[in-house]
Amino acid sequence: MYEAVHAHPDGDATAARHAATAARYGYEGVVVRTREALDPVGADAVDDRSPEAAALRDEYGIDVVDAVEIDADGATSASGAVGNYRSDRTVVCVAGGDDGLNRFAVEEPRVDVLVRPMAGSGDFNHVLAKAARDNGVHVEFDLGPLFRATGGKRVRALADLRKLREIVTYYDAPHVVSANPRSHLELRAPREIVAAAEAVGFDAEWVEEGLRAWGEIAARNRERRSEAFIEPGVRLGRYEEDG
Amino acid sequence: MKHLPKHLRPRWRYLAVGIETWPDAEIRRRAFQRALWYAAGNLLGDAGSADADLTLLSFSHDDGEGEAIVRARHGHVDDARAVIGCVSEVDDDPVGIRIRGISGTVRACEERYMGRAGGTSTQRDVAFEDAERSAVVRDDACDVRTESGYVGAAAFDTE
Repeated sequence: MYEAVHAHPDGDATAARHAATAARYGYEGVVVRTREALDPVGADAVDDRSPEAAALRDEYGIDVVDAVEIDADGATSASGAVGNYRSDRTVVCVAGGDDGLNRFAVEEPRVDVLVRPMAGSGDFNHVLAKAARDNGVHVEFDLGPLFRATGGKRVRALADLRKLREIVTYYDAPHVVSANPRSHLELRAPREIVAAAEAVGFDAEWVEEGLRAWGEIAARNRERRSEAFIEPGVRLGRYEEDG
Repeated sequence: MKHLPKHLRPRWRYLAVGIETWPDAEIRRRAFQRALWYAAGNLLGDAGSADADLTLLSFSHDDGEGEAIVRARHGHVDDARAVIGCVSEVDDDPVGIRIRGISGTVRACEERYMGRAGGTSTQRDVAFEDAERSAVVRDDACDVRTESGYVGAAAFDTE
């Protein structure tokens, strides 16, 4: 299972500290959402990872995935940013939070994940769910408020999560789950996440699936970027040796 | 009062909890118990909270690291796990919290999961982001003091 974290300078812990803690908590990988926190996969890639990510994997035994979270003012600038980052980042997320951005993200197949769609004035409906399903854009369920908010804020966040869950499961749109940790202290082990989500009405199996989905996205995109990849189902292979 | 016959006594599970904070945070037993009860009340409501009956049996915290044993009613362990995960701060100090394991007796819980505190922590200067800064170092973990509070780093970042 994977967790997607905000690392320093966006959060209060570096990518390495997140990786160390996540490894101890039993995760298989971390997706670093913060662009500045981890080098992109460049020309000197080791094993489809940047040298930094590969070194972290060797150090802590956990997969570290470079990602970017695009937080734009509107669909036009978000579209430009997606074009810029798609080629050098393994996972591309678009931060939702208003109707135009949510709509843009689910209709753009180059986007991997729409994160925090219900934040701010954002909302979700059947049209977006169908578009997300058709374009393979994962919708994120942000469990951060469940762990860290209190009072009315938490109630509203949980109500939004329930609405989102009902729509997304009905149309079977792909989903990811994350607690949006901003430091190693906000990180929670997978079993705690599943237990807490279950307490507010999520299905345990479904939540685990959402935690695993991050890893599946990363693996798929790494394969797509490898040189042997031509298009889905077609790979550059080797000629068979004559027996 | 005479104690209950064995078949009427409540059955308990004991959860070993690992706690992590910034090095300057000081968490006391009472504050942690209060945070636990509030978290239970907020997540499960009064009824669920009474069912799970989360009681702190032992607690220690020092230098940014701590551990505790929490007693929960048998059959409500999943609720207890959810509640403990939802403890995000104690007296405004953020806490990282994790359940190390669950046992049927206090003794097994102590023997198996407790007393695992990492090495001692030392204060020294480290090179972090092109500057020399003071930091509290324990094993691999390294909490660096910056202008805007602590930043959690690892040995990997400071080499």
